[in-house]
Amino acid sequence: MTTLNDVRLMLVESATRLFADHVDDKLLAAAKRDGWSASLWQELERAELPLVSIPEDAGGAGGTLSDAAAVLRLAGRYTAPVPLAETGTLAAWMLAASGIALPRGALTAGPVRDADRVAARHHSGRWELSGTLARVPWARIASRLVLLADAPDGAIVACVDPVRCRITPGANLAGEPRDDVMLERVAAETAAPAGRGVDRETLKLRGALARSLMMAGALERALELSVQYAQQRAQFGRKIGQFQAIQQELARFGGETAVAVAAALSAAGVLERGGDALLAVASAKIRTADAAREGALIAHQVHGAIGVTNEYALHHATLRLWAWREEFGNEAQWAMRLGARTQQHGPDPFWSDLTAA
Amino acid sequence: MFFENVDFSALELPPPALKLREEVRAFLRAEVAAGSFAPRLGHAEFDAEFTRRIAARGWIGMTWPKRYGGRERPYLERFVVTEEMLAAAAPCAAHWAADRQTGPSLLRHGSDHLKEKYLPAIARGECYFALGMSEPGSGSDLASVRTRAEQVGGGWRVTGQKVWTSWAHRAHAFFVLCRTSPDSGDRHQGLSQLVVELKSPGVTVRPIPFMDGRHSFNEVFLDNVFVPDEMVVGEIGQGWKQVTSELALERSGPERYMTTFPLLVELIRRLGAAPDARAQEVVGKLTARLWALRRMSLGIAVALDPGADSENGATRTSIDLGTEAALVKDMGTFYEREIIDAARLLVEVEPAAATLDRLERYLAETVVCAPISTIRGGTTQVLRTLIARRLLGPVK
Ligand SMILES: Cc1cc2nc3c(=O)[nH]c(=O)nc-3n(C[C@H](O)[C@H](O)[C@H](O)COP(=O)(O)OP(=O)(O)OC[C@H]3O[C@@H](n4cnc5c(N)ncnc54)[C@H](O)[C@@H]3O)c2cc1C
Repeated sequence: MTTLNDVRLMLVESATRLFADHVDDKLLAAAKRDGWSASLWQELERAELPLVSIPEDAGGAGGTLSDAAAVLRLAGRYTAPVPLAETGTLAAWMLAASGIALPRGALTAGPVRDADRVAARHHSGRWELSGTLARVPWARIASRLVLLADAPDGAIVACVDPVRCRITPGANLAGEPRDDVMLERVAAETAAPAGRGVDRETLKLRGALARSLMMAGALERALELSVQYAQQRAQFGRKIGQFQAIQQELARFGGETAVAVAAALSAAGVLERGGDALLAVASAKIRTADAAREGALIAHQVHGAIGVTNEYALHHATLRLWAWREEFGNEAQWAMRLGARTQQHGPDPFWSDLTAA
Repeated sequence: MFFENVDFSALELPPPALKLREEVRAFLRAEVAAGSFAPRLGHAEFDAEFTRRIAARGWIGMTWPKRYGGRERPYLERFVVTEEMLAAAAPCAAHWAADRQTGPSLLRHGSDHLKEKYLPAIARGECYFALGMSEPGSGSDLASVRTRAEQVGGGWRVTGQKVWTSWAHRAHAFFVLCRTSPDSGDRHQGLSQLVVELKSPGVTVRPIPFMDGRHSFNEVFLDNVFVPDEMVVGEIGQGWKQVTSELALERSGPERYMTTFPLLVELIRRLGAAPDARAQEVVGKLTARLWALRRMSLGIAVALDPGADSENGATRTSIDLGTEAALVKDMGTFYEREIIDAARLLVEVEPAAATLDRLERYLAETVVCAPISTIRGGTTQVLRTLIARRLLGPVK
């Protein structure tokens, strides 16, 4: 019941192989410059990994949200410079749930900022979208933007071609595109009323879940590099891994990483089962962001100066950790929401809420 | 790297465990309503009557084979019972060591004689155990114990001194780690585990008062105590291996992160429905950290469950979660302190042991006991060294 089923094992195995075969220092360096890796994306598409968890009859690859979670953890571990979460977990999810055919290629979704809105109005037989969206992930390389817009009669999901929008390029710390997007009466290519369960809250929850999973993976990567380095680097005639001070830090880092993995994967399961999504996802995002804060700096401390160079691979993980912890709500924002709800419910249901399935 | 093969997303309590949880909650509510125990934090309370009542429900030794008084229930259900007891601050000290440690050790290593003699009595809530590992000269460096056992006709003569032995003044017997052959270079060889009845001639128990005046631990002197052969646990000379096996479950249980939990509940009560943003953030963060630790602990318990085909109720050995388990203890023990500081800093409250105000009292009980959890059962420093060694492997 709680060891991995064969389907998941095979998925994890093949995805690991794919990432390991294709993601190397050269690819990551190029992506840091270009914003992404088109070649890696092609490989992922060929293996149908971006659309895991999207039903096959909607054009997806089938599988569960937990399957997608396993892939996102790996994407984080290999710091894959591609819009994997945005394409499947966010954009294709909204489209499939709203009965809209999936366009080909890399997708992204918005709005991602709480304050941003897209307004939709029906005009001569089609939907026109207007609004200004800050820091949309991967907008400039996506083949389509999938937007959750406010129409007069409720929310709609609409697919637009980014060439029709004004895109101001931006980037997160790791060089991943985070672009401002302006839409002025942009015609939607396809649109439909938002399907069941598709709303701003859920979009944000899924975004936060995806970043939690990716952070768990990136923490594993940073820890792996730190352990390797401590095994090799010698000072004072000894490997630094033999110093208790370094060991204590690595152990603490291990804890942060292990709990991040447990929290992020658990949250995916809760969301999939329709459990207490706010508790699970807020907890996962808070815990992984905390772990990112502790873990990334321990990783650098263990590495000494080499770790802060552009040459050495550690920054691919740590820059992402520092970027992702802010995206889709940082730990303070989620903690305030979760705390406010806890206090509203009061002390008596606290324990039963926490242990509810 | 971590949790290979553990499926967290499928970690859901099955209906029997949910039903059991409701039963335990109802039982504890009734106990509290009847005033049969007063919830207390800090030192676990020793209450033999309470222990017998929960034993009657089948909640002690519940994972053990039926022929030894157990119920053959999954680990997950024991996990549920344990966390409910902790959430209610129930007095579990009488059966705690036997249920968690000595019972499983006996199942795994004990002779039929020892199993028959002790396990059913433990499961009935009638027999209590203490643990005699630490000595004045042997704390973290447990393999250096000096208590000696010498072979005589039909058994062993044991001489030495144990210290910090919790509840030795109330228990019936204790596990004694001792040297049965001299240190011959490999200090992990030549150690053995014996069960010693505390009423045996030659055993003297003296209290060591805790800093708040409470009596929970002791020093125990063994002066040429006769221990018959049938009280040897497992093999002579294999004591070290026996002591260090099966630590995963013991290190990762809810008791590693929940001993201050009821203080958090009282804090939430005191803060009221709409506290300021700072309090909301702190409460939210404590909630998240608890949720995450619990998922980790639960994942380990379920993954180690041997399932129906187990011979002796021992943990599954094909999955190694030793590192993850040690990490639960390390992080859990620090988490418990975060609750103490949140309570101190978010509301105006002074710790007071003798007061009707529950928040003040819980704060007093947890503050004085705050140093304990990172010392006993492996200090933080020793635990982290062990974790790092597992992460690093041999470094040369
Ligand atoms: C409330 C309580 C109940 C207890 N109950 C029992 C019981 O029932 N039975 C029993 O047998 N024992 C019991 N103990 C004892 C407990 O197991 C020991 O306290 C523990 O093993 C640590 O040993 P020590 O106290 O001698 O500290 P020491 O081992 O002397 O450690 C002192 C300090 O030195 C550090 N240190 C030691 N070695 C190293 C190292 N290699 N690297 C880095 N730092 C190191 C430690 O981390 C610690 O900070 C209890 C303790 C407490 C507090």
